[in-house]
Amino acid sequence: MSGTGGTNVEAATGLSIFSKYEPLKQRVDVVKKIGIDPFEMAFDDIMGPTRGRIGNREIILAGTNNYLGLTYDPAAREAAKDAIDRHGTGTTGSRIANGTYAEHEKLERDLAAHLGKPSCIVFTTGYVTNLAAMAGLAGPNDVIFIDADAHACIIDGTRLAGTTTVRFRHNNPADLDKRLARQKIPEGGHALVVIEGLYSMFGDVAPIDEFVEVAHKHGAYLYVDEAHSYGVFGPTGAGIAEEQGVLDKIDFYSGTFSKSLASVGGFCASRHPEFELLRKVMRPYMFTASAAPSNICAAQAALEAIKSRPELRTNIMARAAQLHAGLAEMGFDLCAPASPVIAVRRPNEAQAAMEWNWLLNEGVYVNLAVPPGTPESSSLLRISVSAAHTEDDVSSILSRFKALKDNSAEIMNEMMRRIAASA
Amino acid sequence: MPTDQQIFDKICELLKPYNVKNKPILRTSGIMSDLEVDSTAVFDLIMELEDHYDISIPMEVISDVKTVGELVNAIQELLES
Repeated sequence: MSGTGGTNVEAATGLSIFSKYEPLKQRVDVVKKIGIDPFEMAFDDIMGPTRGRIGNREIILAGTNNYLGLTYDPAAREAAKDAIDRHGTGTTGSRIANGTYAEHEKLERDLAAHLGKPSCIVFTTGYVTNLAAMAGLAGPNDVIFIDADAHACIIDGTRLAGTTTVRFRHNNPADLDKRLARQKIPEGGHALVVIEGLYSMFGDVAPIDEFVEVAHKHGAYLYVDEAHSYGVFGPTGAGIAEEQGVLDKIDFYSGTFSKSLASVGGFCASRHPEFELLRKVMRPYMFTASAAPSNICAAQAALEAIKSRPELRTNIMARAAQLHAGLAEMGFDLCAPASPVIAVRRPNEAQAAMEWNWLLNEGVYVNLAVPPGTPESSSLLRISVSAAHTEDDVSSILSRFKALKDNSAEIMNEMMRRIAASA
Repeated sequence: MPTDQQIFDKICELLKPYNVKNKPILRTSGIMSDLEVDSTAVFDLIMELEDHYDISIPMEVISDVKTVGELVNAIQELLES
């Protein structure tokens, strides 16, 4: 692989600054021979929370993490439009400069109240939330413990923190217990345990209640990322921690606006009032533009829906159960019990890419997820269910998966033909 | 305290299931580059080594390790510390 820059080094070695990505390029080339590159595809139109369009073909969206389907909720749309009319399209400043509006502060107060915490800070994205909060919390003498299946933003949070980081076995409080006991914490330091509520790839739920017990037994702080579970689980939508009755014991609770809150942004709440001090410490909070007023106001409207419309949670759980049961009945290898994230394990990356293309061609969009972004080096067809999906939508998705199974030999032959034809 | 050779042998044993192409494992073998073990599997291997030797191998230590020999050295240093 060579670039076109023509530096002296490139001329002498035949290597460019892009050469290190040669193995990646080979993988991408195989995927492109099979069909559309799943990581670069674009919709020609999105018409609603469950429908998109490519060319003349209508697509059922089953991989958007739009769990409550609120991106088209009339109140959220109206709030965003009204915010643009009143405050313009962007803040042009960070939270510590001119970028904090009354709406940012109101949303922080309301999220804090929903979670029963004295402090909540709103960030520009969910990714930035974990990056900022983890790096702000953990100092040189502290040790971070992360779940083996932690999301990239948590791993990057440990990198930005630059402190000792230990990984424990996925969803295994006993393994964390062992590693907390084994690890020496430097003088003056503390342990910070970071887990997620619902894991985004396999869709499995964490035993947060057991993690609370283990973390606090060792005097560690517990940080829970409920990006995929806030709004979806719990009697009032406050997540898996609420459902398991331990919300008040969570030291730090993070989430995103880009799923159930129907917008773009993120938040971290804490039961420690001193968390407010981190506003003057967290570089990804201090040195990036604040969330646009339209995003903040849409999230505010979605928050009100989360609190006042429990039927959204009833709907999504019913559709998730329907889809999971249907796929299980067909004999698909599913990675976890029913939840709004349903991952179908496939034998390898090429087959998964081919099947992803086939499903899209048949009118269903799911996510293709491949290593190293997946646990156990799995290749997955990942589905996220929405409260906006109807029973008929799920039946349609199931019928496509049934056809996928029935035509598997033909689909594989086609894949081999495409790879061979472009060799 | 295990010898350098014992640590190397243990790593070879634990690497087997991840070494899908059955390539020869040398001290100079790049774990990811030569043996084609992906990053997720490397961390799983590390957890097995942590449990076997009852030590903690932080992620930042692993990020500096490229070859099997470097992993042997890293474990030896942690056992001695």
